[in-house]
This record gives sequence, C-alpha cells and structure tokens, in this order.
Amino acid sequence: MATASASPADTATAPSAPATPASQWQSARFRRRVTATVIFAAMVVIAVVMFYPFWYMGDNSFRNQAQFDRQSGHSFAGWTQLFNDLPVLHELVSSTIVCAAAIVIILVVSTTAGFAFAKLRYRGSGLVFLLIVAAMMVPLQSIIIPEYVNLAKFNLTSNYTGAVLVYAALGAPFATFLMATYYRGISDELIEAAVMDGLSYERTFLRIALPLSLPAIATVTVLQFIQIWDDLLVGYLFLPTGDRTITVGLAVLSSGRTTGIPPLMAGSLVSAIPAIIVYLIFQRYLIRGLTLGMGK
Amino acid sequence: MSLTADPPVRRPRRGRLARKRRLAGLVLSVPAILLVGALLWAPIVQAIRYSMTTWNGYSAPVWIGPSAYTTALSDPLVHRVLENNALLLLAVPVAIGIPLIIAALLHEHVRGWRFFRSVYFLPTAISWVVIGMVALQFFAANGMLNQFLADVGLGSVHTDMLASEYSALAALAITFIWSMIGTNTIIFLTGMATLDPTLLEAARVDGLSRRQIFFRVTLPLLTRFIQFAFVITVISAFSALFSLIFVMTGGGPGLGTTTLEFFVYQAGFAQGQFGAGALYGIILFVIMIIVGVGQLRLIRAQDGKGW
Repeated sequence: MATASASPADTATAPSAPATPASQWQSARFRRRVTATVIFAAMVVIAVVMFYPFWYMGDNSFRNQAQFDRQSGHSFAGWTQLFNDLPVLHELVSSTIVCAAAIVIILVVSTTAGFAFAKLRYRGSGLVFLLIVAAMMVPLQSIIIPEYVNLAKFNLTSNYTGAVLVYAALGAPFATFLMATYYRGISDELIEAAVMDGLSYERTFLRIALPLSLPAIATVTVLQFIQIWDDLLVGYLFLPTGDRTITVGLAVLSSGRTTGIPPLMAGSLVSAIPAIIVYLIFQRYLIRGLTLGMGK
Repeated sequence: MSLTADPPVRRPRRGRLARKRRLAGLVLSVPAILLVGALLWAPIVQAIRYSMTTWNGYSAPVWIGPSAYTTALSDPLVHRVLENNALLLLAVPVAIGIPLIIAALLHEHVRGWRFFRSVYFLPTAISWVVIGMVALQFFAANGMLNQFLADVGLGSVHTDMLASEYSALAALAITFIWSMIGTNTIIFLTGMATLDPTLLEAARVDGLSRRQIFFRVTLPLLTRFIQFAFVITVISAFSALFSLIFVMTGGGPGLGTTTLEFFVYQAGFAQGQFGAGALYGIILFVIMIIVGVGQLRLIRAQDGKGW
C-alpha cells in the first residue's frame, strides 16, 4: 500500500526535461490527483478489511444453521434462538449495573484524588501519587488468584460487589492520572481565591474544580465504559453464574461449542451495539484519553 | 509508607490555610489509596507469598520457598508457554508498521479521511470476545479464509490454521494485529498532527520524495509515539489476550496458544493450583516491569537530548 501511494511521487523527483511553467504546473496537478486517487483506493480496501467483521455478524445473524452452512438465504432464526438460549435481557441489565457502579466509584475516587495530588499537596503526596499510578503496570492476571481468595472470603463473589470493586480498582490508577493531569491545568489562583472567599477546600473542589473538569470526566467515563463492558476475565471469575454480563455470557456460550453460529453472531451484535454507540458519540473523548495517556 | 521531601510549592506552606489544604488533600486522596491499596497492591504481596507454596485453595498451603521459582523456570511446560509469549512479540512490529502506513495515508487528508478514520477505529469499541468469535469463523476449516482462497482460485490451498499448534498461534497473532490497528493508528495520527507542516514543506521543496520524507523526516520525529505504541502493544499482547484465547482456541491445540496470562488462569482456576498460578502471575508482572522501566529509561534518555 505504501509503495503504491508513494510511487507516483517518486517519479516526480527524477530530473526531467525542461518544460514550460504551464505544463509543469498541469502535470504536478495531475500527479497530485493520481496520488490522491491511489490513496483513496487504498483506504477503501483497508476500510473493507476493518468493517468486514461487522457486516459478517449482521449478515450471518439473520440465518438458521442450514442457511449458514450453505451461506445463502436469510431468516430470523439466529435472533429467535439467541433469545431462547441466552438470558440476553438479564445479561444486558447486569452489564449496565456493573458498568455504572464501577464507573461511579472510579469517578468519585479519581476526581477527589486527582484534585488532591494536583492542588492539595501534602507530605508524601508525590510518592502516594506515584504508587497509585504505578499500579497501572500490575497485570490483572498477576493478582487474580489472591483477589479471588480475598473476595470469596468476604463473600463478595455471590453478587455484583466483587466484580464492581475489581473493575473500579483496575480503572482507578489511569483515571486518577488523567484527572490529576487535568487539574494541574487549573490555576492555583482560582482555587485560592475561592478559599479566600470562605469556601473550604472540599467545597472548592465540588463547586469549582469538578464542574471545570467535565471533559476529563467524560473521557474517563467513555474509556471505562468500553473497557468494562467488553471485559471477560473479571466478570467470568467474580460474577455469579446467574448475574453474568453479556460479554461473559457470550464467551461461555461460544466456548461450549454447542450453540450455532447465527445466534452467536446475533449476540455479538447485541453486545457490540452499546459500545459502538458510545464510541460514535464520544469518539473525541476516547481519542483524547488515549493521547493523554502519553502524558502530552 | 516512607515520606519523601516535598516538591517546591508556589503557595505559602505555613499557616492555618496551608494546614487546611494539606488536611483536605489527605482526606480527598484516602478513597483512592484504600481502593488501589486493598485491591491492587495488597494482592501483589499475597501473590508473591502464594507463589512460594503448593496450594490448592482449600487445604493448608505447603511452604516451598524461593526454590519454587527455580523449579518452575526449569519446567518444560513453562518454557513452551514462554516460547509462545516470545513468538507473539514477532507480531508487535507488524502491529506497529501497518498502523504507521495507515496513519500516513490518513494524514494525506484526501477526501473522506475523517470517515475512514472512524471506520478504522471502530474495532477498538468491541470486545475481544466478539472479535474472537468472528476470527474463529474466519480461520475455521469451512470459514471465510478458505472461502476467499477458493474464490480467488486458490482452493487447493485449504487451510485449517486453528488445528495445529504454531499455525493456531499465527492465527491468534493475526487477529491481535487486526485488533491493534485502530489504537495504534490513532496514536500515530495524533503524532503526525503535532509535526510542523513547514518542515515537511521544506523537505518537499528540497526535492525529497514522499517516501524519503516519510522515512527521513516523519518517522524520526514520531519516535516518542512509536515507543508509546510499542509499550501499549506489548502490554496488550501479554496481558489482554485472555478473551481472544478463551474464545478462539482455549489455549490449544496442546499448549499451542497458551501464553503466560492464560497459563495463570489454567493453573489457578482450571487445575486448582493456586500456588503455581500465582507464580506464573508474578513472572508476568516482572516482565511487565521490565517493559515499563525500559520505556521510562528511553524517554528519560531522549528528554536529556531535549526532545
């Protein structure tokens, strides 16, 4: 692809016979057109590769097993079978509850701590901040066994609590980092002026800093929603079987190798649609979160 | 926790207000400290302790000590698993190179590039579980890949990649590369947006071809972004593929697609060896620390040069 798009320009560098200014200008414009067309064609090909799985899911969800096997004909069989085989609605509710609860905890914890580390430094706060942010490097698999032992000991794996807490803890370090970065951009004078006016630091946080940080809050919310909604491992191990999220339910159904492909594709779409909607609406917040991760 | 010296603070450090400020800071950071301390740092300490025992999770753990590590590191099964991790690293340059090319194409800003950007980034919104399920159909013996090969007249090249160990790992790696395209493309696109357009214009005026500009001007200026993408990609390859492996291969055939992270799950939860599982988890953690520290040092070295 690179060579295809680059080659027209390469030839341009070859020393050519002197031409009149007008034809030079015309051929340059022509070359630019050719380059743009080649690039456009390459981007279309890549778009097909990236979008094909979505089309495949949609296409094959409207099939029964026989239609799937011969890859022709459509019906609603995949969808009806999905709703028979899988407690889709209950799983969607579970996904929503787990996501919402974990995100609320992450937001509370990361805005307060982020503000403290950025604006209310105390002895050792730099080190504490470092320890919290460094927890980003802890892979979940490294702590999954003691985590399971601890949660089971407090009987937190028989309901949503255990999974919610683990999701919240996994999301908190990056969210805190992001919020602290954001609050550092607010001027100290603004905070001190509010305090001089008689607000406590806590109220200053609530009334002034928090409303100012709505864009960062949106970024954290979107990143975490997609992360938690799409997660398998935590939900699979820490949620009771009856309260599985849609992603976990699908993975278990799929690994059973007994369910046909059409209902699985329908389920995939059901699980993917909320995340895709959130992505399409909040795309720029997602991208901002990603680039903020680089510490820019 | 030990206390370090305060960094210089611009505001008054003494007096009633400063005291209030420090107290408020302490109070507001307590929830985060509790959450991260109890659910991330404490389990690491526990995991280190578990890793030196033989324990099935029910009966009393039997203490082995640090020799558990030497035993594990000479275990051929562990070698096989680490080999898979090492082989997966081969996918990393591809998972960075392709997005670099795509970002360069998008950066030309030809008609419709915003739309294409959205399409390329779309897969980052869906779960590895969903990606894995479609990939399973793609690589299946009667799946899309063979259908495609037959359509272009290569029907004789019938593949069944998930049926043998190394080809299954390759299928996993290909799926992984596809999944990373969105994230890495966005990283590079962000990087290219920071480039000074006059610099590229100057290179063009100097008679450099598009390809020369890309390799001699753009690429060196993107170093920082390439490193970031590298770390994200390695971290994902080693600790985010659980779902993909779970759905596509279940770690098989044999140990063909069992990476360290999946091995933790298998040892701990499928076989009930909590001690061994914790140990594999600690090995993974050490690898992550090496990757992270390596990245930090690279950035520091560059900052020294004034990047």
